[in-house]
This record gives sequence, C-alpha cells and structure tokens, in this order.
Amino acid sequence: MAEVRCPMCSKPNPEEAEVCGICGARLKPLIIDQPPQEQPPDKSEERRPEQGVEQEEGLDWLGRIRAEAESEAPKEEIEPEETADEAVSPDWLGRLREVDTTEDEGPPDGEVPDWLSAFSEDVGEVGEPEAAEPGWLERIREIKATKAAEGEEEAEPVDDWLARLREEQELIPEDLGADEIIPEELPLPAETLAEEEVEEHVISPIEPMDLSLEPSEIAPSEAMADKEAPPEPRDILPDLTEAAPPVTPSEVELPSEVVGEAEEAAERVDEFETPIEDELPHVPALILDEGEETIGEQPSGIDLDSIELPGWLSELRETAPPEEVPAEDTSLDLAPATLPSWLEAMRPIATFRSAVEIESVDEQVVESAGPLAGLQGVLMAEPVVAMPRAATVGAARLEVTERQYAQAELLHRMVEEEERERPAAAAHRPRVPYLRWAIGFLLVIAVALPTILSFRVGEGFPLPSYMPRDLESLFKLVEGISLERPVLAVFDYTPGYAGELNAVAGPLLEHIMLRGLRVVTVSTRPTGPLLAEGLLSRVGVNGEGYVHLGYLSGGPIAVQLFAAAPRETISRGFLLPGDMESQSGWQSPILEGVSQLSDFGLVVVITAGTDSARTWVEQAYPWRGETPLVMVLSVGTEPMIRPYYEALEPQVDGILTGLPAAVNYEQYLGRSGNAIARWNAFGTGMLTIELILLAGVIYGAALWLLRPRAVETRSERDG
Amino acid sequence: MKVRANLVLAATAVGSGIFVLLGYFIDHEVILTLRLILMRWSVLLAAVALFLGLFNLLTVHWSKVSEQEKGWPYSAVLILAFLVTLILGLWFGPDNQTLLMLFNYIQLPVEASLMALLTISLTVAGFRLVSRRRDPFSLIFVVVVMLVLLGTGPWLVASDSDAYILLGQLRNWVAQVWASGGARGILLGVALGAILTGLRVLLAVDRPYGD
Amino acid sequence: MLGSIDIVGLLVLLLFLGLLLGFAAVGRNWPAVFRPVPGFEELGTAIERAVEAGERVHLSLGTGSVIGSDSAPALAGLAMLSRVAAVTTMSDKPVVVTAGDGAMAMLAQETLRSAYQRAKASERYRPTSGRMLGPTPFSYVASLPILIATEDVSVHILAGSFGAEGALAADFGERQQAFVIAGTDDAQSQALLYATAEYPMIGEEIFAGGAYLNVGPLHRASLRAQDAVRMLIVALILIGTVLHALGVSL
Repeated sequence: MAEVRCPMCSKPNPEEAEVCGICGARLKPLIIDQPPQEQPPDKSEERRPEQGVEQEEGLDWLGRIRAEAESEAPKEEIEPEETADEAVSPDWLGRLREVDTTEDEGPPDGEVPDWLSAFSEDVGEVGEPEAAEPGWLERIREIKATKAAEGEEEAEPVDDWLARLREEQELIPEDLGADEIIPEELPLPAETLAEEEVEEHVISPIEPMDLSLEPSEIAPSEAMADKEAPPEPRDILPDLTEAAPPVTPSEVELPSEVVGEAEEAAERVDEFETPIEDELPHVPALILDEGEETIGEQPSGIDLDSIELPGWLSELRETAPPEEVPAEDTSLDLAPATLPSWLEAMRPIATFRSAVEIESVDEQVVESAGPLAGLQGVLMAEPVVAMPRAATVGAARLEVTERQYAQAELLHRMVEEEERERPAAAAHRPRVPYLRWAIGFLLVIAVALPTILSFRVGEGFPLPSYMPRDLESLFKLVEGISLERPVLAVFDYTPGYAGELNAVAGPLLEHIMLRGLRVVTVSTRPTGPLLAEGLLSRVGVNGEGYVHLGYLSGGPIAVQLFAAAPRETISRGFLLPGDMESQSGWQSPILEGVSQLSDFGLVVVITAGTDSARTWVEQAYPWRGETPLVMVLSVGTEPMIRPYYEALEPQVDGILTGLPAAVNYEQYLGRSGNAIARWNAFGTGMLTIELILLAGVIYGAALWLLRPRAVETRSERDG
Repeated sequence: MKVRANLVLAATAVGSGIFVLLGYFIDHEVILTLRLILMRWSVLLAAVALFLGLFNLLTVHWSKVSEQEKGWPYSAVLILAFLVTLILGLWFGPDNQTLLMLFNYIQLPVEASLMALLTISLTVAGFRLVSRRRDPFSLIFVVVVMLVLLGTGPWLVASDSDAYILLGQLRNWVAQVWASGGARGILLGVALGAILTGLRVLLAVDRPYGD
Repeated sequence: MLGSIDIVGLLVLLLFLGLLLGFAAVGRNWPAVFRPVPGFEELGTAIERAVEAGERVHLSLGTGSVIGSDSAPALAGLAMLSRVAAVTTMSDKPVVVTAGDGAMAMLAQETLRSAYQRAKASERYRPTSGRMLGPTPFSYVASLPILIATEDVSVHILAGSFGAEGALAADFGERQQAFVIAGTDDAQSQALLYATAEYPMIGEEIFAGGAYLNVGPLHRASLRAQDAVRMLIVALILIGTVLHALGVSL
C-alpha cells in the first residue's frame, strides 16, 4: 500500500490520510479559493459516499428552501460590500442561494455537525442514510404556505426575527472589546436586507483575527471543511448579539433565508474560543485541547435549553440519532465523514493550538526571540517552525533502494575478503608440451639412427659432388704457406658450437698439420684453449706440432693489443709440454722468430659469432701485413663475413662455412674425417626438419583457411 | 657530498671516454699513450668485475639456500660445483688433466646438449610460426628457411640432379645477396645506435654507473 | 706535435653530436613522431599487469661484456631498465636484472639503486636484484628457467647482446607463457628471436627502447639523429650506386 510521508515528522502514513497520525500535521494541503467542485476528490469522501451524498442533499435543501422563500418575497438584492473578507467568503453560501427549489430532499439525518449537536440532544447518527422528511421541514413549508396564503411580505418574517435581533442587540454589553471573536462580517442575506440593515447587523470587527486568514490557521476548520455539511440551523445571531443566556434553539425560529447566514456565523463563531464566558455565549471550540469538554457535552455556563431555536431545529435534536463519535478519531470533535474535503483540509494540525486565542493586551506576551522580538500580539509561530527540535529517527533514516543495498553488501563483502586470509593458490600445473616432445623425439631418432646403424661411406645420403670455388682457392692457399712460419689458430667459440665447428675446422687443421705446419692457438674465451686441445689432439700427429698460448682476456681490446704486440699481451701458455711448464709459451721452438702478427704464415679464425669474426678482421687488419686470414665459420655467420671475402680489397682470404664445405674439403683432401662421418646424420636431421616445417606451414595455412569460414558460417547462422 | 661524488664519477667516465675516442682520430703520442693505458685498465677492471660477478652469483645462491627459497636445491648444487671446480683449479692449476676431464665430460656435453635443445626449440618455433603469426613475413621467413635447408643439406635422391644444383645456387644467392644485404643494413643501423648510445654515455646523459 | 688527424672521422663525430644536441633543443617545439612498435606498446600494459598480479619483471642484459662492441645494446638495455625499475619500485616483486658479465651486473645494480633513490624508496633496494647468472652464454641461459620459475616472472625482457642462446632464452620465457620482448644487435640472433620471441626487436629497435619508453628527451633526440644519419647513408649509397653504374669511379 502506498505510503505518504509526513512533511513534519517524516513518519509514513496511509495515502488516503488527511493528517498525520503521529504529529497531526496536514498531509494534504488546504485550498481555500478553489471552488469546491474543482478540488480533487477527497478519498475520505469516497469511503463515505453515502454521507457525501447526504451532505450535498443537506445543503441543497437549505438552498431550496431559501429559494422558495425568495421567490415569494420581493427580492431586494443588496450588493454585498466588496471587501476582502467577502472575497474569501465561501462560495457555498452563494451556491446555497441558487439551489433548485424543486428538490425537496431534506438534510440527511444524523449528519449534524458536532457543534450543532451541542444544542440538540438527539443528534442524528453519522452515516445514517436518508431519513424521512423531518418535521421541521414540514413546518417550514407550512409557514410558507401560511405566508403565501396570507400574502404576507417576506419582510414580515424577516422583520420578525430582525426585530428580535434588534431587541437582543440592545442587550449586548457595551464593553465588548475587540477581543470578541466575532467575524468581521456576517454574510447576512443580502437579498433580504437593505444595505443599511446589513451594516447594522455587522458585528464589530474582530481584532486581530481576520477572516482573510488562511483556513489552516483557523482552528475550527471542520466547520468550513465540508461545504456540504448540513448546516444545522442554529441561532447564532442571538448568541453573538446578546450576552444573555443562550436561547435554546427550539425557541428560536429563524426564517429560511437567514438559516444560511446563521449557520455560517455559527460556524465562524465556533472557530474561536470565547474566553469571556460570562459576557458572551460560549461557543465551544471545534477542536478541543485535552481535558476540555467535548462538543457533545454541554459547555459549562451555557444553558442550551435557554437558546431559542426554531422548532424544526429542536425537533431535529429530538429525532436525531445519538451522537456517535468515531472511536478512532477521538481527538477530533467532528466526524470526518460529515465534512466536505475542502473543509476537512482546513482542519488544524494537532500541534497547533486548538484555537487561536486573542488575548487581552495585558495578557499578550511580548515576543522575546526572533525578528519580532519586542512586539506584542504576535501570533504564536508554529512550534515546528519556531522551536528547534531534534530530528526524529524517521527524518535521519536513509532511504535505501534494493540496488544500493546490494552494492553496499558487495562492498562489505569485498572489505571482508581483504581481511580474510586466503590459502595459497595451488601451483599452476604446466601443460605438457606434447609437440615439443614429439619433435624432439623425431629429431633424436633422425640423428641417432644413422649413427646406430653405422652406415658405411656411400650409403645413405650421397656425398656432394659439387665443389664450390671458394674451397679450391682455400686449398691452394694452405698449400702455399711456408713451412717455416707457424699458423695462428684462433679458437673463438663456445663449447656449444664444438659439435659443428670441430667438424668444420677439422679438415682444414688436418690439412695444415699434414703439411707439417706448426700451429699456435689462442682464444679470447676462457674455454677456447680447452677446445683447441681437444680438436688438435685428435687431428694432430702424435699430439705434437702445436702449442697453446692460452686465454686472451679483454675482448676486442685484447685482440688489438695482441695484433700490435703479441708477446706483450700473453706471457704464459696453456698445457705446455712437460719441459716448458715453468716457462712462457713464447719460449717454445714453434714460436721462434715470431714477434708480431705478420710473422705468422696464416691466421685461422674459428668462430661462430659474427662479432668475434668482425673483431679479428677489423682489429687485426692493420698489423697483419701479408699474412692471409682464413675464416672458419658457422653457417649462420657466413652472410656477415662474406662481404669481407668478396670485397674489392678483401680482408678475408679464405672462408670455410658449414658441414657441406667441410665434406667437400675432406673429399678434396681424400680423407674421411668427422665431417663425412656425420653426413648421413646431418642429412636425416635436415630432412626431418624440412618435413616438420612443411607440416607447420600446411597446418598454419589450414588454420588460416578454415577459421574465417567458421566465423562466417557462425555469423550467417546467427544472422 | 653525494652530489660531489656523483660529479666525480661522471667526470671520470666522461674524461676517460673522450680520451679513448680521440685516440682513434688524433694520432698524438700523449693521447695514444693515455688511450692505451686506459684500455689496459679497462681490461683489468673487466677481470675484476668478472670476479665480483662470481661473488654476486655465490651470494644470491647462498641466500637462496640459507632461506630455503623455491628451487634452493639447484642453488646448492651450483655452489657445490663451483667450489669443487675452484678448489681443483687452484690446487692443480687450470691446465690440469683433471680439469680437462671435467670440461670434456661435463661442460662440453652439457653445452652441446643445450645447443641441441636450441635446435629443437627452433624447429618447434618454426612449426608454430605460421599458425601463430599469420602475416606474409612469417610465411616468407619459413619459405626461405626451407629453401636454405634444402639447398644446404643433402638430398636422399637426385643429389646430382640439376634441381639440386639449381637449388644450391639459389640458396647461395639468397644467403650471399639478400641475407647479406639485409644483415649489412642491420649492421649499419646497429652501428648508428651504438654510436648514439656511446655519445649519451659520454655526455653523461645515461649514467649506468649511478646518478 | 700533433700527428695525423682523421678529419673525416672527427667530422662524422661532430655531425652526430650536433644532430643529437640540435634535436634535443628543438624537441620541445617540434615533437618527435615515431612509428608504432608493437612490442613497446604492449610492454607497458604487460608490466602493469605484472605489478597488479604480484608477478615479476625480468630484464636480461645479455651475455656481452662491458668492453667491446657488444656493450652498446646492453647500455640501451640499462636505459630501459631505469624506466622499468621506476615503474616496479613499489611492486611486491620489483624487477630483477640478470647479465652474463660481472661488470654488466654491477652496472645493473647501480641503475637499480638510482631508480630506487629517485623513487624515495632506497630501503627497498636489494643488491641481489642485479645478478650475474653465468660467465658463459650457455651457462647463463641454463640458469634462466630456474629464475623464471622461482621468481614468478611474467614479463621477460631481453635487451642486450645475445648469440644463438638468445633464442633459447626467449623460448624459456614463452614456455612459461610470459610476455617476451627480445632484441639484440646481432642480425643472426635477431633471426632466431624472430621465430621464438613474441615481440622481437628487429634491426636497431633495441636502441630505440629509451625513446619509446620515454626515458628522456635526449633519447628521443638520439633516435631522430639516427634516422637522419640513416637517411644520409641511404642517399649516399644510392648516389654511389648510380655513379658506379654510370661508370664514374670515386
């Protein structure tokens, strides 16, 4: 069920509630100037449709009566004074004047305002459906008929009651002050009274209360809330104009045309409390404070029986059902059902004072705070506005939507997770590299199988029959070296390349040693001398004919230094013969007469790195002289070094690259060495790699051809 | 104080570099002598740095073993092998048969195996190249690789055929012309980069020795 | 007495110096625009991901030594290291740098120390963050799998002088499903890295790492100077080729 929050205390209330059940503030604004028919339908009326209908009927009958009376009497329309007060006079009064006289329905039984029921003992029960035409109506009609028959002027009854009013007025004490809560204007039937008579009947203005006040500021707003409430005829005028003991309503016979005015006056009078009970008839307040007498009770000091009421009114009191105060609305004096919505809206807030008190000048409190400090007669400000109060719990409560609640929960969970200790994640299980294993297995089989099967020469892969021209010049170069000058062999490769380079450099070194040339080794790597020993010990003749100078530290700088002054760069040797252990390698007979790089017959650089080869080519060139330089290279290094070999002024005199070149060299040499022994394994390995790469290309091409089609098919299917 | 020390370091580095560089362009005795001295000092410092690097290596692995970090057994084996080799080398000398045996039967096979592992890794990479990187250059790369392999290795059949000879010549043409030219271009670019990198060090823009 | 002077060499040196300083001077008003290199573009994201995931970045300076031509790519790698270290300083697992040379490892330590000092986090610096894995290339590479596995490496940067072992190093990173970007100065090794690394740096792209990673304005200026001289060399080669074809001998 939809709820409406109170603007004052922020407590939820039912949507149809007019006032807050906690603090009594109005939930629906009061609209004064809006004609009754323009106001939104009051749901409280919907709940009591029968009562509303009856209320309408009540006003209608009064209007009709008045209209009938008007039609019989000369109409003297008196323009009412256009005052501000008149402007705010309820329109229902005007409409009452326009009531169709044809209707003959009477006021609903039982729907008697509480204020009126104070003068009647037999107030009709609220909510009672239409009852039989009461006797008072019949009497009114009888009066009309009588008048019509007699042809009396309408002024006569007016004159009668007017005369009575004048009499009563003389009895009004003169010391009635401004604090008399009397409406400034009493909407007397202008059509029946002359203007001067109207003026005479205008009660002294009320100070300070003004009818131009907002209805919400008027305490007894119930009297105005329901325009259709049956305006219980009540002799207000006598109550206002005389200080005499109240006249019982039954004794007062008011013509129909003044019923409305009397009714309105009574309503207005009832809005105010009459502090001076002794001087004025006490009109009980519509909204009573706690402890005060209810409307239903006879106010103290007022003898209702003494109030002269019309007969019909007294009969109404007798026949009206007992007053029934709604149990759930004990704080209200009027049953909400009897009031129209606009009148209901004027019901004051409970926190408000039940009645605006116009205190005497002496009793008026001097305002002590705020901008009006020091003034007297200041209307008490609404406690909600003037008095500070702490915000209620409801006001501070956040309105949290479900989504916000879910997000807050998520944040709370995240914070909790941060504090929670999580167990260490299980170690990521590496995926098994099946492809790598398969390819590795294939390659191992391809390389190992020829070795295991011990192919003989000529079996398996055929030896190359094509002799490259580079090889022939190299062969001739080696053949032309003087036997008196040693050959410098630089072993500048790591043990990882030993498998290839040992096989490639082997035939060349074997050729050198077979010619009887002496070999001197040096290396810019720590493991170079070890590699040199391993290779030369295999190809050498009885392990003689070579000497190791050892490790040349310093990289390219050391190469340049060695090229410039070899003897000063390396002082010791490596794995020197037994008789030279404590000596320098330069003292070996192989190096006799060698003091610089150009004293060597040939420089052979065996390397797998481009930088090392370039370093030796570039750094040693200025000091090499006529000594040829030969490069024994890995296949991958050839493109970088070949330009040195094929230049117009070549810096490299011979080049030997890869196992095929080594096989060719062995063929040229006529000897079967390590190169030829590895030829079949080399061939199967190369073939296997070629097939694997081909399979990879086919696999990649297939993926490329198939995948876009699968995407298109999927998109077509979805489309 | 710290700024002054940094300035001294920078000045030393810059001055040394300038003298060595000028020694390549200006043939003056003082400059050449100074250059030679500085270069020899750099060789000595490189050797000392090698020693410090080995000390750093030991420190890292020792801390792993002492703190029982992940993979500490490998660190323990490394420290053990290091110490054994060091002791043997100091005891017997670097050109001893014992060390030769260690080299020939441990280091040489291990490094040769790593090279074989490289072969397998390159083969696997070549197999996946086209499927992983579907661009024309990858396809050209693999095609050229196969061409060189076919032109370099022996054929099981028809090794005397004209096709084999033609393929061999094609392989030589690709390797000695296209690959060589491309490598030369790369070398030029690398040389330019190396020059500018060296100049940044000489201008103390890059201070790898510390700010 | 002043001996012979290599005027041409000095002029070339001055040309390089002038271009470097000139491009640095106009760099603010004439900002450099470089072609996109996929490896460098992805590197930032990969490092961020590694930092957020609590994984480590590994930078390898190669197996070259400080003295010699193979020190140039390692110096370029040190420039990249200064930038990478600045990003990973506050990470749970800061960058670890390895080298195959003792002197290079020491330079790496100093670069790391400077980076931590700049980040006001000197107390987080550990000397073991820069280490030498092995004195020889293959012994260096043999230690890499253990390092990658134990240090939870997810970004594998190879920026230095590598031989064939560089392909093996890249392959180890690929096996661990790490982000691998590799570059070296050797053309042969670059061919191997092209096949094995996820993001290979071909040619002299390794020397452009400082400019792409915004190490400093002079790095961008040096890259522009490289491009300018390269254009000059291309022009000279073309002119020489045409002249030689026309029979004009120089």
